[in-house]
Amino acid sequence: MPLKTLATLAVQRLEILAADGTVDAQRMPKVKDDLLLKMYRLMFQIRAFDERAILLQRSGRLGTYPMITGQEATQCVPPLALRATDWVVPTYRGGGVYFARGMQMRHALLYWAGDDRGTHFPDGNNDMIFSIPVGTHLTQVAGLAWGEKFKKKGGVALTYCGDGTSSKGDLHEALTFAGQFKLPAVFIIENNGWAISVPRARQAASRTLAQKAWGYGVAGLQVDGNDALAVYSATADAVARARRGEGATLIECETYRMSHHTTADDATRYRDAKDVEAWKKKDPISRFKKFLTARKLWSEAKEKDLAQETKTWIDGEVKAYEETPPPNPLDMFANNYERATWPLVEQRAQLEELLKFKGGAKILTELPPTEGRFP
Amino acid sequence: MKTAAPAKTRTLNLVTAVNEALDLSLASDERVMILGEDVGRNGGVFRATDGLWKKYGDERVVDTPLAEIGIMGSAIGLAVNGMKPIAEIQFDGFMPSVFDQVVCHLGRIRSRSRGKLSVPLILRAPHGGLIHAPEHHSESPEAYFCHTPGIKVVIPSTPYDAKGLLLAAVDSPDPVVFFEPKLLYRSAVGEVPAGHYTVPIGKARLVQEGNDLTILTWGAMTVTVRKAADTLAREDGASVEIVDLRTLSPLDLETILASVGKTGRCVIAHEAPNTGSWAAELSALIAERALLKLQAPVERVGGWDIRMPLFRLEQYYIPDADRVLLAARKALSF
Repeated sequence: MPLKTLATLAVQRLEILAADGTVDAQRMPKVKDDLLLKMYRLMFQIRAFDERAILLQRSGRLGTYPMITGQEATQCVPPLALRATDWVVPTYRGGGVYFARGMQMRHALLYWAGDDRGTHFPDGNNDMIFSIPVGTHLTQVAGLAWGEKFKKKGGVALTYCGDGTSSKGDLHEALTFAGQFKLPAVFIIENNGWAISVPRARQAASRTLAQKAWGYGVAGLQVDGNDALAVYSATADAVARARRGEGATLIECETYRMSHHTTADDATRYRDAKDVEAWKKKDPISRFKKFLTARKLWSEAKEKDLAQETKTWIDGEVKAYEETPPPNPLDMFANNYERATWPLVEQRAQLEELLKFKGGAKILTELPPTEGRFP
Repeated sequence: MKTAAPAKTRTLNLVTAVNEALDLSLASDERVMILGEDVGRNGGVFRATDGLWKKYGDERVVDTPLAEIGIMGSAIGLAVNGMKPIAEIQFDGFMPSVFDQVVCHLGRIRSRSRGKLSVPLILRAPHGGLIHAPEHHSESPEAYFCHTPGIKVVIPSTPYDAKGLLLAAVDSPDPVVFFEPKLLYRSAVGEVPAGHYTVPIGKARLVQEGNDLTILTWGAMTVTVRKAADTLAREDGASVEIVDLRTLSPLDLETILASVGKTGRCVIAHEAPNTGSWAAELSALIAERALLKLQAPVERVGGWDIRMPLFRLEQYYIPDADRVLLAARKALSF
């Protein structure tokens, strides 16, 4: 008997704004000029922030920091298609996502300086801290979306993972649940080409990562991740589908990690500078600037003003970060349980004794105030 | 072919000693292969596998997809099928995802197959804190593995032991979890013989002899304990015996009981939270087998029973020399 074809997959790629700044008018999403300007502003500012964070790290004023340069469109744009009450869980390389959600970047600096007070998100937002063991959040996001489904208010959960993480079983299980229970979720694979030193090609042997969606009854497509308009359009469509109760979407945003994995990495050990140069020509910010300029929405004068404003903003955030008093060691014991258990009460007292041994009885009155809840 | 340590030695740090053991194993046994994330072209994030990809090629030093369960499960399959995989999990904090493979399979395949199959693999991972690393990069998960039957757990604290124990692990017919204290990768420097030699799995190392107090320790805490012992000698006139366990499972019970039997007082110092820790097991063993030799309760000095904080507070979480000192004084003055 002849074999029957049960399904034919057509994996599509969305591009709207070309690297030279020209736009496909037919596919252009219907968005107001203000939103276009907001996209540019966010991308511009987060790149400047990234550059400053690297300088801080290099001068010993920050811990290991994961750069986002080159990924501004995939990070800053999707949150613009969401409500504050929608759930967002980025990856650890998610500064642009949090920034677009309104996070004060002094907190991001605190986090990467090894301070637990850095996980502070704007009140009213449903933002969750990223996972450092990569991908472990993905099934949780299925759960967040599931919770929104129960609430019946059209809420959505959006999350990210990298091309490396797409190899983990976590994504398989998250998509399995998202498809099976038709969850209002959006999964963005932020394919930046590299999992530390391991190239995209060493992950799945498939032509795209977007096509994983078909295995789970989830919609999928690939997007030029350096094209803010395509990223916006794809995310807005996926969010709308989710709100209508039509289920989850997997979006592969193809972008490029222009810098090292983190400040602790040296990408020159494993990749060709020529590849990086080629991706420079596809920069998400410069193409968007050309686009805005052609639409008479942008000018060099406005650029200059934005640069000045950005510098002032970053100076303020860095100052606020650096003037934050050191954490009180006793605060470690706060917030571990709704009410601290006896071992923690006992051990906190032991730490007090240790501090007194080191610094004299006076030390406890000299420590910065504790902030967390104890007992 | 096992030979005694050759006379020629060099001064190496711990990560170079690990690299040398891996290099020797790849060179001498074609069944040996390395698999993990960034272990190939990049030479590992700590450079433990530096140069090996170039020397032995992509088939034997393998950059895997980013998938810890894939690494662990396929290493088990490779080992059952005659290879000698040395799998690397990049950070201690990424190990929990391999537990399903470790707990349900790694230590059980020998007994489930009634001895017909074995899983002679090595699972390497960095261990511990104090390098100002990001979250989930400073964990001490040894107790989870020691609790699991059927596997051996090793943690060297000197370059000599790192190389000798890793070469012994390659010879082991049973799976070995091999922790490498990341604080010591470059700071621990010592004499390391060239060529092949082994340090037996299951034997502790007597760091220094003493009569008044035994301190049992492992990993990077060995360095902290030495500082505390120096202070105790100087300020208290106390003679401290330090035992670096080196192998956590199976424990070198003979050395432990001999030392505690001699001094009558014992402190156990380590980085993990105390509750349910390997220090708890040691304490129980001493209580069961040497109770009448004890002149003071066993003191455990470990991390607090909370998650490892971000690094600004890690020096208050992982015991420092002062905490070891206070516990030692408590035991000495009981």
